[in-house]
Amino acid sequence: MPILELDNVSKSYGSTTALKGLTLSVEPGSVYGLLGPNGSGKTTTLGIALGVLRASGGSVRWFGQAPSSDNRRRVGALLETPNFFPYLSARQNLLLAADVKRADPRTVDQALDLTGLGTRQHDKFRGFSLGMKQRLALASTLLGNPEVLVLDEPTNGLDPQGIAEVRDLVTRLAADGKTIIIASHLLDEVEKVCTHVAVLQRGDLRAAGPVHSILATADRVILRPAPDTSIVTLQQALAALPWVSDLKPETAGIYSAVLAAGHGPADLNRALFEQGIALAGLEVRHRSLEAQFLELTR
Amino acid sequence: MFRAELRKILPYRTVWIILLLFVVLLALFVSAGGSVTLNGQQVGATLYTFPGLWQKLTYVASYFNLLLGILLIILITDEFQFRTFRQQIIDGSSVAELLQNKLLVSVALMVFGMLTVLGLGFYFGLTRAAETANKAAEGITGIALYGVQVLGLLSMAALVAVLVRRSGPGILLFLLYAWVAEPLLRFSLPDSLDRFLPAKVFNSLTPLPGQEMLDTVTGPSSALLPTEALPLALVYTALFWGLSYLVLRNRDL
Repeated sequence: MPILELDNVSKSYGSTTALKGLTLSVEPGSVYGLLGPNGSGKTTTLGIALGVLRASGGSVRWFGQAPSSDNRRRVGALLETPNFFPYLSARQNLLLAADVKRADPRTVDQALDLTGLGTRQHDKFRGFSLGMKQRLALASTLLGNPEVLVLDEPTNGLDPQGIAEVRDLVTRLAADGKTIIIASHLLDEVEKVCTHVAVLQRGDLRAAGPVHSILATADRVILRPAPDTSIVTLQQALAALPWVSDLKPETAGIYSAVLAAGHGPADLNRALFEQGIALAGLEVRHRSLEAQFLELTR
Repeated sequence: MFRAELRKILPYRTVWIILLLFVVLLALFVSAGGSVTLNGQQVGATLYTFPGLWQKLTYVASYFNLLLGILLIILITDEFQFRTFRQQIIDGSSVAELLQNKLLVSVALMVFGMLTVLGLGFYFGLTRAAETANKAAEGITGIALYGVQVLGLLSMAALVAVLVRRSGPGILLFLLYAWVAEPLLRFSLPDSLDRFLPAKVFNSLTPLPGQEMLDTVTGPSSALLPTEALPLALVYTALFWGLSYLVLRNRDL
Protein backbone atom coordinates (compact mmCIF):
# COMPACT_ATOMS: atom_id res chain seq x y z
CA MET A 1 0.00 0.00 0.00
CA PRO A 2 1.47 3.36 -0.97
CA ILE A 3 2.28 5.85 1.80
CA LEU A 4 0.95 8.80 -0.18
CA GLU A 5 -1.17 8.85 -3.31
CA LEU A 6 -2.14 11.96 -5.24
CA ASP A 7 -4.84 11.41 -7.83
CA ASN A 8 -5.38 14.07 -10.46
CA VAL A 9 -4.76 16.88 -7.97
CA SER A 10 -5.08 20.42 -9.31
CA LYS A 11 -4.88 23.83 -7.74
CA SER A 12 -5.68 27.28 -9.09
CA TYR A 13 -5.00 30.65 -7.52
CA GLY A 14 -7.43 32.92 -9.34
CA SER A 15 -6.53 32.62 -13.01
CA THR A 16 -3.14 31.02 -12.29
CA THR A 17 -2.98 27.24 -12.38
CA ALA A 18 -0.35 26.03 -9.95
CA LEU A 19 -0.97 22.31 -10.40
CA LYS A 20 -2.48 20.55 -13.40
CA GLY A 21 -3.91 17.15 -12.54
CA LEU A 22 -0.92 15.72 -10.69
CA THR A 23 -0.94 11.97 -10.09
CA LEU A 24 1.82 10.27 -8.18
CA SER A 25 2.37 7.63 -5.58
CA VAL A 26 5.05 7.26 -2.89
CA GLU A 27 5.91 3.73 -1.84
CA PRO A 28 6.93 2.80 1.72
CA GLY A 29 10.64 3.01 2.43
CA SER A 30 11.44 5.23 -0.52
CA VAL A 31 13.23 8.55 -0.46
CA TYR A 32 11.09 10.47 -2.89
CA GLY A 33 12.50 13.62 -4.44
CA LEU A 34 10.13 16.24 -5.77
CA LEU A 35 12.15 18.28 -8.24
CA GLY A 36 11.33 21.40 -10.12
CA PRO A 37 12.38 24.98 -10.66
CA ASN A 38 10.99 27.77 -8.48
CA GLY A 39 7.25 28.07 -8.96
CA SER A 40 6.85 24.59 -10.42
CA GLY A 41 4.27 23.52 -7.80
CA LYS A 42 6.40 21.55 -5.32
CA THR A 43 5.25 23.42 -2.21
CA THR A 44 1.67 23.57 -3.49
CA THR A 45 1.72 19.78 -3.90
CA LEU A 46 3.00 19.25 -0.37
CA GLY A 47 0.66 21.90 1.07
CA ILE A 48 -2.33 20.06 -0.39
CA ALA A 49 -1.00 16.70 0.80
CA LEU A 50 -0.54 18.13 4.32
CA GLY A 51 -4.01 19.66 4.50
CA VAL A 52 -3.13 23.36 4.63
CA LEU A 53 -4.07 24.18 1.02
CA ARG A 54 -7.44 23.30 -0.46
CA ALA A 55 -7.13 21.45 -3.78
CA SER A 56 -9.30 22.72 -6.64
CA GLY A 57 -9.75 19.12 -7.75
CA GLY A 58 -8.53 15.57 -7.27
CA SER A 59 -7.91 13.55 -4.14
CA VAL A 60 -5.17 12.75 -1.61
CA ARG A 61 -4.77 9.52 0.33
CA TRP A 62 -2.34 8.89 3.18
CA PHE A 63 -1.68 5.27 4.17
CA GLY A 64 -4.58 4.27 1.91
CA GLN A 65 -7.05 6.49 3.78
CA ALA A 66 -8.62 9.91 3.34
CA PRO A 67 -6.51 12.67 4.99
CA SER A 68 -7.22 13.12 8.71
CA SER A 69 -5.64 14.52 11.85
CA ASP A 70 -4.72 11.00 12.87
CA ASN A 71 -2.77 10.18 9.75
CA ARG A 72 -1.10 13.61 9.75
CA ARG A 73 0.29 12.76 13.20
CA ARG A 74 2.16 9.86 11.57
CA VAL A 75 4.00 12.36 9.39
CA GLY A 76 6.68 14.85 10.43
CA ALA A 77 6.68 17.77 8.06
CA LEU A 78 8.56 20.95 7.33
CA LEU A 79 6.70 23.07 4.78
CA GLU A 80 8.30 26.12 3.19
CA THR A 81 9.40 28.04 6.29
CA PRO A 82 10.15 27.20 9.94
CA ASN A 83 6.94 28.22 11.75
CA PHE A 84 7.40 28.92 15.45
CA PHE A 85 6.45 31.41 18.16
CA PRO A 86 9.25 34.01 18.16
CA TYR A 87 8.92 34.82 21.86
CA LEU A 88 9.31 31.17 22.93
CA SER A 89 12.63 29.36 23.26
CA ALA A 90 13.60 26.50 20.96
CA ARG A 91 12.72 24.04 23.72
CA GLN A 92 9.35 25.66 24.54
CA ASN A 93 8.46 25.60 20.84
CA LEU A 94 9.29 21.90 20.57
CA LEU A 95 7.34 21.03 23.74
CA LEU A 96 4.37 22.84 22.23
CA ALA A 97 4.76 20.97 18.93
CA ALA A 98 5.04 17.67 20.84
CA ASP A 99 1.72 18.44 22.56
CA VAL A 100 0.04 19.09 19.21
CA LYS A 101 1.49 15.89 17.76
CA ARG A 102 0.65 14.00 20.96
CA ALA A 103 4.27 12.90 20.94
CA ASP A 104 6.25 11.85 23.99
CA PRO A 105 7.85 15.04 25.40
CA ARG A 106 11.04 13.04 25.96
CA THR A 107 11.61 12.96 22.20
CA VAL A 108 12.25 16.72 22.44
CA ASP A 109 15.72 16.12 23.87
CA GLN A 110 16.55 13.54 21.22
CA ALA A 111 15.43 15.90 18.47
CA LEU A 112 17.49 18.78 19.91
CA ASP A 113 20.57 16.56 20.08
CA LEU A 114 20.12 15.12 16.59
CA THR A 115 19.98 18.61 15.09
CA GLY A 116 22.80 20.04 17.19
CA LEU A 117 20.61 22.57 19.00
CA GLY A 118 21.16 21.22 22.52
CA THR A 119 23.30 24.13 23.65
CA ARG A 120 20.95 26.78 22.25
CA GLN A 121 17.67 25.22 23.39
CA HIS A 122 16.87 27.95 25.91
CA ASP A 123 17.43 30.81 23.45
CA LYS A 124 14.42 32.52 21.95
CA PHE A 125 13.47 31.52 18.39
CA ARG A 126 13.43 35.24 17.52
CA GLY A 127 17.23 35.44 17.90
CA PHE A 128 18.03 32.42 15.73
CA SER A 129 19.85 32.63 12.39
CA LEU A 130 18.09 31.24 9.32
CA GLY A 131 20.18 28.08 9.55
CA MET A 132 19.27 27.50 13.19
CA LYS A 133 15.60 28.13 12.49
CA GLN A 134 15.82 25.49 9.79
CA ARG A 135 17.50 23.08 12.21
CA LEU A 136 14.72 23.66 14.72
CA ALA A 137 12.12 22.96 12.04
CA LEU A 138 13.95 19.70 11.24
CA ALA A 139 14.04 18.86 14.95
CA SER A 140 10.28 19.40 15.10
CA THR A 141 9.67 16.95 12.25
CA LEU A 142 11.47 14.25 14.26
CA LEU A 143 9.25 14.56 17.36
CA GLY A 144 7.39 11.39 18.17
CA ASN A 145 9.54 9.40 15.75
CA PRO A 146 7.10 9.56 12.77
CA GLU A 147 6.99 6.93 10.02
CA VAL A 148 7.10 9.50 7.25
CA LEU A 149 9.03 12.75 6.85
CA VAL A 150 8.07 15.49 4.43
CA LEU A 151 10.87 17.99 3.96
CA ASP A 152 10.36 21.03 1.77
CA GLU A 153 13.75 22.51 0.86
CA PRO A 154 15.32 21.14 4.07
CA THR A 155 18.76 22.62 3.42
CA ASN A 156 17.53 26.18 2.90
CA GLY A 157 19.76 28.61 4.74
CA LEU A 158 22.19 25.96 5.94
CA ASP A 159 25.97 26.24 5.55
CA PRO A 160 27.85 23.50 3.64
CA GLN A 161 28.44 21.59 6.86
CA GLY A 162 24.75 21.83 7.74
CA ILE A 163 23.79 20.61 4.26
CA ALA A 164 26.06 17.59 4.65
CA GLU A 165 24.57 16.92 8.10
CA VAL A 166 21.00 17.02 6.75
CA ARG A 167 22.04 14.64 3.97
CA ASP A 168 23.53 12.25 6.54
CA LEU A 169 20.43 12.55 8.68
CA VAL A 170 18.15 11.76 5.74
CA THR A 171 20.31 8.78 4.77
CA ARG A 172 20.29 7.49 8.36
CA LEU A 173 16.52 7.93 8.71
CA ALA A 174 15.94 6.20 5.39
CA ALA A 175 18.15 3.33 6.56
CA ASP A 176 15.83 3.05 9.59
CA GLY A 177 13.02 2.31 7.13
CA LYS A 178 11.33 5.71 7.16
CA THR A 179 9.69 7.03 4.04
CA ILE A 180 11.01 10.47 3.17
CA ILE A 181 9.57 12.97 0.72
CA ILE A 182 11.93 15.82 -0.18
CA ALA A 183 11.12 18.79 -2.33
CA SER A 184 14.14 20.60 -3.62
CA HIS A 185 15.59 22.54 -6.47
CA LEU A 186 19.07 21.43 -5.44
CA LEU A 187 19.64 18.49 -7.78
CA ASP A 188 22.85 17.39 -6.24
CA GLU A 189 21.05 16.95 -2.94
CA VAL A 190 18.31 14.84 -4.50
CA GLU A 191 20.69 12.73 -6.58
CA LYS A 192 22.74 11.85 -3.51
CA VAL A 193 19.88 10.72 -1.27
CA CYS A 194 16.77 9.88 -3.31
CA THR A 195 15.59 6.52 -4.56
CA HIS A 196 12.67 7.97 -6.53
CA VAL A 197 12.07 11.27 -8.18
CA ALA A 198 9.26 13.25 -9.77
CA VAL A 199 10.04 16.26 -11.93
CA LEU A 200 7.53 19.09 -11.97
CA GLN A 201 7.42 22.07 -14.23
CA ARG A 202 4.80 24.81 -14.13
CA GLY A 203 2.39 22.45 -12.40
CA ASP A 204 2.92 19.61 -14.87
CA LEU A 205 4.48 16.26 -14.06
CA ARG A 206 7.34 15.79 -16.54
CA ALA A 207 8.69 12.47 -15.31
CA ALA A 208 8.39 10.18 -12.30
CA GLY A 209 10.01 6.93 -11.21
CA PRO A 210 13.10 5.39 -9.64
CA VAL A 211 16.12 7.69 -9.91
CA HIS A 212 18.15 5.10 -11.88
CA SER A 213 15.41 4.70 -14.50
CA ILE A 214 15.00 8.44 -14.92
CA LEU A 215 18.75 8.76 -15.28
CA ALA A 216 19.25 5.58 -17.33
CA THR A 217 17.22 6.95 -20.20
CA ALA A 218 19.88 9.60 -20.49
CA ASP A 219 22.92 7.30 -20.38
CA ARG A 220 25.05 7.12 -23.52
CA VAL A 221 27.64 4.52 -24.45
CA ILE A 222 30.97 5.81 -25.66
CA LEU A 223 32.64 3.68 -28.38
CA ARG A 224 36.23 3.95 -29.41
CA PRO A 225 36.79 1.72 -32.48
CA ALA A 226 40.16 -0.02 -33.01
CA PRO A 227 42.42 2.00 -35.36
CA ASP A 228 42.00 -0.50 -38.23
CA THR A 229 38.19 -0.33 -38.24
CA SER A 230 36.66 1.75 -40.96
CA ILE A 231 34.07 4.27 -39.81
CA VAL A 232 31.64 3.23 -42.54
CA THR A 233 31.73 -0.42 -41.40
CA LEU A 234 31.07 0.65 -37.81
CA GLN A 235 28.16 2.85 -38.84
CA GLN A 236 26.61 0.07 -40.94
CA ALA A 237 27.02 -2.48 -38.16
CA LEU A 238 25.41 -0.16 -35.62
CA ALA A 239 22.58 0.75 -38.01
CA ALA A 240 21.76 -2.97 -38.26
CA LEU A 241 21.17 -3.16 -34.49
CA PRO A 242 17.58 -2.06 -33.77
CA TRP A 243 18.32 -1.30 -30.11
CA VAL A 244 21.03 1.27 -30.88
CA SER A 245 19.99 4.81 -31.67
CA ASP A 246 21.20 8.37 -31.90
CA LEU A 247 24.76 7.64 -33.07
CA LYS A 248 26.85 10.77 -32.79
CA PRO A 249 30.50 11.43 -33.49
CA GLU A 250 32.32 12.86 -30.50
CA THR A 251 35.90 14.14 -30.53
CA ALA A 252 38.91 12.28 -31.99
CA GLY A 253 37.24 9.29 -33.68
CA ILE A 254 35.05 8.48 -30.70
CA TYR A 255 31.31 7.82 -31.14
CA SER A 256 28.44 7.83 -28.72
CA ALA A 257 25.03 6.18 -28.93
CA VAL A 258 21.96 5.41 -26.82
CA LEU A 259 20.99 1.82 -26.03
CA ALA A 260 17.38 0.77 -25.63
CA ALA A 261 16.23 -0.44 -22.22
CA GLY A 262 17.30 -4.01 -21.49
CA HIS A 263 20.52 -3.72 -23.47
CA GLY A 264 23.90 -3.06 -21.93
CA PRO A 265 27.42 -2.35 -23.15
CA ALA A 266 28.24 -6.09 -23.05
CA ASP A 267 25.47 -6.78 -25.63
CA LEU A 268 26.90 -4.10 -27.86
CA ASN A 269 30.43 -5.44 -27.55
CA ARG A 270 29.30 -8.98 -28.40
CA ALA A 271 27.20 -7.89 -31.39
CA LEU A 272 29.99 -5.82 -32.89
CA PHE A 273 32.61 -8.51 -32.33
CA GLU A 274 30.39 -11.04 -34.15
CA GLN A 275 30.55 -8.74 -37.15
CA GLY A 276 34.31 -8.60 -36.95
CA ILE A 277 34.54 -5.19 -35.37
CA ALA A 278 36.84 -4.82 -32.37
CA LEU A 279 36.55 -1.90 -30.03
CA ALA A 280 39.52 -0.27 -28.36
CA GLY A 281 37.27 1.23 -25.71
CA LEU A 282 33.68 1.01 -24.51
CA GLU A 283 32.14 2.78 -21.53
CA VAL A 284 28.83 4.08 -20.22
CA ARG A 285 28.65 7.78 -19.56
CA HIS A 286 26.16 8.49 -16.78
CA ARG A 287 24.42 11.70 -17.26
CA SER A 288 24.05 13.84 -14.17
CA LEU A 289 20.61 14.42 -12.78
CA GLU A 290 21.19 18.05 -13.52
CA ALA A 291 21.66 17.43 -17.25
CA GLN A 292 18.61 15.18 -17.29
CA PHE A 293 16.58 17.71 -15.32
CA LEU A 294 17.48 20.50 -17.71
CA GLU A 295 16.50 18.24 -20.59
CA LEU A 296 13.14 17.40 -19.01
CA THR A 297 12.25 20.95 -18.12
CA ARG A 298 13.47 22.52 -21.34
CA MET B 1 -4.98 20.18 24.08
CA PHE B 2 -5.39 23.22 26.31
CA ARG B 3 -1.90 22.56 27.65
CA ALA B 4 -0.53 23.61 24.25
CA GLU B 5 -2.49 26.89 24.54
CA LEU B 6 -1.03 27.49 27.99
CA ARG B 7 2.45 26.90 26.59
CA LYS B 8 1.81 29.75 24.15
CA ILE B 9 0.13 32.14 26.58
CA LEU B 10 1.95 31.86 29.90
CA PRO B 11 5.38 33.05 28.65
CA TYR B 12 3.83 35.81 26.48
CA ARG B 13 4.46 39.19 28.09
CA THR B 14 1.81 40.98 25.99
CA VAL B 15 -0.88 38.81 27.60
CA TRP B 16 0.16 39.75 31.13
CA ILE B 17 0.45 43.45 30.26
CA ILE B 18 -3.08 43.59 28.84
CA LEU B 19 -4.58 41.60 31.73
CA LEU B 20 -2.80 43.84 34.24
CA LEU B 21 -4.02 46.89 32.36
CA PHE B 22 -7.58 45.55 32.53
CA VAL B 23 -7.41 45.11 36.32
CA VAL B 24 -5.54 48.35 37.06
CA LEU B 25 -7.65 50.58 34.80
CA LEU B 26 -10.90 49.11 36.10
CA ALA B 27 -9.73 49.45 39.72
CA LEU B 28 -8.60 53.06 39.16
CA PHE B 29 -11.85 53.91 37.46
CA VAL B 30 -13.95 52.38 40.22
CA SER B 31 -11.76 53.97 42.87
CA ALA B 32 -12.10 57.39 41.28
CA GLY B 33 -15.80 56.77 40.66
CA GLY B 34 -16.78 58.11 44.06
CA SER B 35 -16.53 61.64 42.73
CA VAL B 36 -18.31 60.90 39.44
CA THR B 37 -21.70 62.37 38.67
CA LEU B 38 -24.09 59.72 37.46
CA ASN B 39 -27.62 60.55 36.37
CA GLY B 40 -27.21 64.03 37.75
CA GLN B 41 -26.22 62.89 41.23
CA GLN B 42 -22.87 62.99 42.98
CA VAL B 43 -22.27 59.31 43.52
CA GLY B 44 -19.98 59.44 46.52
CA ALA B 45 -20.04 56.56 48.94
CA THR B 46 -23.40 55.30 47.62
CA LEU B 47 -21.48 53.95 44.64
CA TYR B 48 -19.96 51.21 46.74
CA THR B 49 -23.01 50.05 48.63
CA PHE B 50 -24.24 46.51 48.13
CA PRO B 51 -26.27 45.28 46.34
CA GLY B 52 -26.34 48.14 43.79
CA LEU B 53 -22.56 47.90 43.47
CA TRP B 54 -22.70 44.79 41.28
CA GLN B 55 -24.80 46.40 38.58
CA LYS B 56 -22.67 49.55 38.56
CA LEU B 57 -19.48 47.53 38.48
CA THR B 58 -20.53 45.24 35.64
CA TYR B 59 -21.77 48.27 33.68
CA VAL B 60 -18.40 50.01 34.09
CA ALA B 61 -16.45 46.81 33.41
CA SER B 62 -18.28 46.35 30.10
CA TYR B 63 -16.32 49.32 28.75
CA PHE B 64 -13.04 47.56 29.53
CA ASN B 65 -14.06 44.34 27.75
CA LEU B 66 -12.60 45.78 24.59
CA LEU B 67 -9.16 45.20 26.11
CA LEU B 68 -9.94 41.49 26.41
CA GLY B 69 -11.20 41.54 22.82
CA ILE B 70 -7.98 43.16 21.65
CA LEU B 71 -6.00 40.49 23.52
CA LEU B 72 -7.90 37.66 21.80
CA ILE B 73 -7.42 39.34 18.42
CA ILE B 74 -3.68 39.51 19.07
CA LEU B 75 -3.55 35.84 20.13
CA ILE B 76 -5.42 34.69 17.00
CA THR B 77 -3.74 36.96 14.44
CA ASP B 78 -0.34 35.95 15.86
CA GLU B 79 -1.11 32.41 14.75
CA PHE B 80 -1.62 33.62 11.19
CA GLN B 81 1.41 35.91 11.26
CA PHE B 82 3.75 33.25 12.71
CA ARG B 83 2.08 30.65 10.44
CA THR B 84 1.61 28.49 13.49
CA PHE B 85 -2.03 27.67 12.65
CA ARG B 86 -0.62 26.21 9.46
CA GLN B 87 2.05 24.28 11.35
CA GLN B 88 -0.43 22.91 13.88
CA ILE B 89 -2.60 21.56 11.06
CA ILE B 90 0.50 19.95 9.56
CA ASP B 91 1.36 18.52 12.98
CA GLY B 92 -2.05 16.87 13.29
CA SER B 93 -4.55 19.42 14.61
CA SER B 94 -7.88 19.92 12.89
CA VAL B 95 -9.42 23.30 12.11
CA ALA B 96 -12.11 22.54 14.69
CA GLU B 97 -9.45 21.87 17.33
CA LEU B 98 -7.65 25.13 16.55
CA LEU B 99 -10.86 27.05 17.17
CA GLN B 100 -11.90 24.98 20.17
CA ASN B 101 -8.62 25.96 21.78
CA LYS B 102 -9.28 29.64 21.12
CA LEU B 103 -12.81 29.19 22.49
CA LEU B 104 -11.25 27.77 25.65
CA VAL B 105 -8.93 30.78 25.80
CA SER B 106 -11.96 33.05 25.55
CA VAL B 107 -13.66 31.12 28.36
CA ALA B 108 -10.51 31.61 30.44
CA LEU B 109 -10.63 35.35 29.69
CA MET B 110 -14.31 35.37 30.66
CA VAL B 111 -13.48 33.73 34.00
CA PHE B 112 -10.65 36.22 34.47
CA GLY B 113 -13.04 39.14 33.82
CA MET B 114 -15.66 37.74 36.20
CA LEU B 115 -13.12 37.09 38.96
CA THR B 116 -11.71 40.60 38.52
CA VAL B 117 -15.16 42.17 38.88
CA LEU B 118 -15.94 39.89 41.81
CA GLY B 119 -12.64 40.70 43.53
CA LEU B 120 -12.92 44.46 42.97
CA GLY B 121 -16.56 44.38 44.07
CA PHE B 122 -15.77 42.74 47.36
CA TYR B 123 -12.70 44.91 47.90
CA PHE B 124 -14.42 48.24 47.32
CA GLY B 125 -17.72 47.17 48.85
CA LEU B 126 -16.21 45.83 52.06
CA THR B 127 -13.70 48.66 52.50
CA ARG B 128 -15.91 51.62 51.57
CA ALA B 129 -19.41 50.48 52.43
CA ALA B 130 -18.84 47.76 55.01
CA GLU B 131 -22.20 48.48 56.63
CA THR B 132 -24.01 46.97 53.61
CA ALA B 133 -21.93 43.75 53.60
CA ASN B 134 -24.98 41.71 54.62
CA LYS B 135 -26.48 42.47 51.19
CA ALA B 136 -23.35 41.49 49.27
CA ALA B 137 -24.90 38.34 47.84
CA GLU B 138 -27.88 40.17 46.34
CA GLY B 139 -27.58 40.90 42.66
CA ILE B 140 -24.30 39.02 42.43
CA THR B 141 -25.78 36.94 39.59
CA GLY B 142 -25.28 40.03 37.43
CA ILE B 143 -21.68 38.87 37.19
CA ALA B 144 -22.82 35.77 35.31
CA LEU B 145 -24.56 38.01 32.75
CA TYR B 146 -21.38 40.05 32.55
CA GLY B 147 -19.50 36.79 31.84
CA VAL B 148 -21.85 36.03 28.94
CA GLN B 149 -21.23 39.55 27.66
CA VAL B 150 -17.45 38.99 27.70
CA LEU B 151 -17.86 35.66 25.94
CA GLY B 152 -20.07 37.24 23.27
CA LEU B 153 -17.76 40.13 22.62
CA LEU B 154 -14.82 37.72 22.40
CA SER B 155 -16.66 35.60 19.82
CA MET B 156 -17.02 38.77 17.74
CA ALA B 157 -13.30 39.52 18.22
CA ALA B 158 -12.42 35.98 17.13
CA LEU B 159 -14.47 36.28 13.94
CA VAL B 160 -12.82 39.61 13.09
CA ALA B 161 -9.37 38.10 13.73
CA VAL B 162 -10.06 35.07 11.54
CA LEU B 163 -11.41 37.28 8.75
CA VAL B 164 -8.67 39.93 8.81
CA ARG B 165 -5.70 37.78 9.95
CA ARG B 166 -3.56 40.81 10.86
CA SER B 167 -3.52 42.34 14.31
CA GLY B 168 -3.50 46.07 13.45
CA PRO B 169 -6.39 46.05 10.98
CA GLY B 170 -8.19 43.45 13.12
CA ILE B 171 -8.13 45.61 16.26
CA LEU B 172 -9.13 48.66 14.23
CA LEU B 173 -12.07 46.87 12.63
CA PHE B 174 -13.20 45.48 15.98
CA LEU B 175 -13.16 48.91 17.65
CA LEU B 176 -14.72 50.60 14.62
CA TYR B 177 -17.57 48.11 14.59
CA ALA B 178 -18.26 48.30 18.32
CA TRP B 179 -17.90 52.08 18.62
CA VAL B 180 -18.76 53.53 15.21
CA ALA B 181 -20.32 51.18 12.67
CA GLU B 182 -23.00 49.59 14.82
CA PRO B 183 -24.05 52.86 16.55
CA LEU B 184 -24.36 54.45 13.08
CA LEU B 185 -26.34 51.46 11.87
CA ARG B 186 -28.65 51.84 14.87
CA PHE B 187 -29.48 55.39 13.81
CA SER B 188 -30.71 54.23 10.43
CA LEU B 189 -32.67 51.26 11.76
CA PRO B 190 -36.02 51.45 13.56
CA ASP B 191 -35.79 50.92 17.34
CA SER B 192 -37.61 47.63 17.08
CA LEU B 193 -34.75 46.22 15.02
CA ASP B 194 -31.62 47.91 16.30
CA ARG B 195 -31.89 46.33 19.72
CA PHE B 196 -31.17 42.99 18.08
CA LEU B 197 -27.77 44.04 16.71
CA PRO B 198 -24.98 42.02 18.35
CA ALA B 199 -23.04 44.74 20.21
CA LYS B 200 -26.32 46.20 21.45
CA VAL B 201 -27.50 42.77 22.64
CA PHE B 202 -24.22 42.19 24.48
CA ASN B 203 -24.44 45.65 26.07
CA SER B 204 -28.00 44.99 27.18
CA LEU B 205 -26.68 42.29 29.50
CA THR B 206 -25.16 44.93 31.80
CA PRO B 207 -27.64 47.83 31.64
CA LEU B 208 -26.91 51.35 32.80
CA PRO B 209 -27.64 51.52 36.55
CA GLY B 210 -30.86 53.43 37.21
CA GLN B 211 -32.14 52.69 33.72
CA GLU B 212 -35.46 51.56 35.18
CA MET B 213 -35.82 54.94 36.85
CA LEU B 214 -34.97 56.77 33.64
CA ASP B 215 -37.52 54.68 31.79
CA THR B 216 -40.30 56.01 33.98
CA VAL B 217 -39.34 59.53 32.90
CA THR B 218 -38.47 59.09 29.22
CA GLY B 219 -40.59 56.06 28.39
CA PRO B 220 -39.28 52.52 27.95
CA SER B 221 -35.83 52.39 26.37
CA SER B 222 -35.38 50.45 23.19
CA ALA B 223 -32.85 48.10 24.79
CA LEU B 224 -33.72 44.53 25.67
CA LEU B 225 -33.90 43.51 29.32
CA PRO B 226 -30.87 41.43 30.40
CA THR B 227 -33.03 38.33 30.64
CA GLU B 228 -34.32 38.91 27.10
CA ALA B 229 -30.82 39.57 25.80
CA LEU B 230 -29.31 36.43 27.36
CA PRO B 231 -30.56 33.79 24.87
CA LEU B 232 -29.86 36.10 21.94
CA ALA B 233 -26.32 36.75 23.18
CA LEU B 234 -25.69 33.02 23.39
CA VAL B 235 -27.05 32.55 19.86
CA TYR B 236 -24.76 35.29 18.54
CA THR B 237 -21.79 33.74 20.35
CA ALA B 238 -22.45 30.34 18.78
CA LEU B 239 -23.06 31.96 15.39
CA PHE B 240 -19.77 33.90 15.43
CA TRP B 241 -17.71 30.86 16.40
CA GLY B 242 -19.51 28.84 13.73
CA LEU B 243 -18.74 31.46 11.10
CA SER B 244 -15.09 31.57 12.18
CA TYR B 245 -14.95 27.81 11.72
CA LEU B 246 -16.44 27.99 8.22
CA VAL B 247 -14.04 30.75 7.17
CA LEU B 248 -11.00 28.92 8.50
CA ARG B 249 -12.03 25.57 7.05
CA ASN B 250 -12.58 26.89 3.54
CA ARG B 251 -9.47 29.00 3.21
CA ASP B 252 -5.86 28.12 2.49
CA LEU B 253 -3.70 28.46 5.58
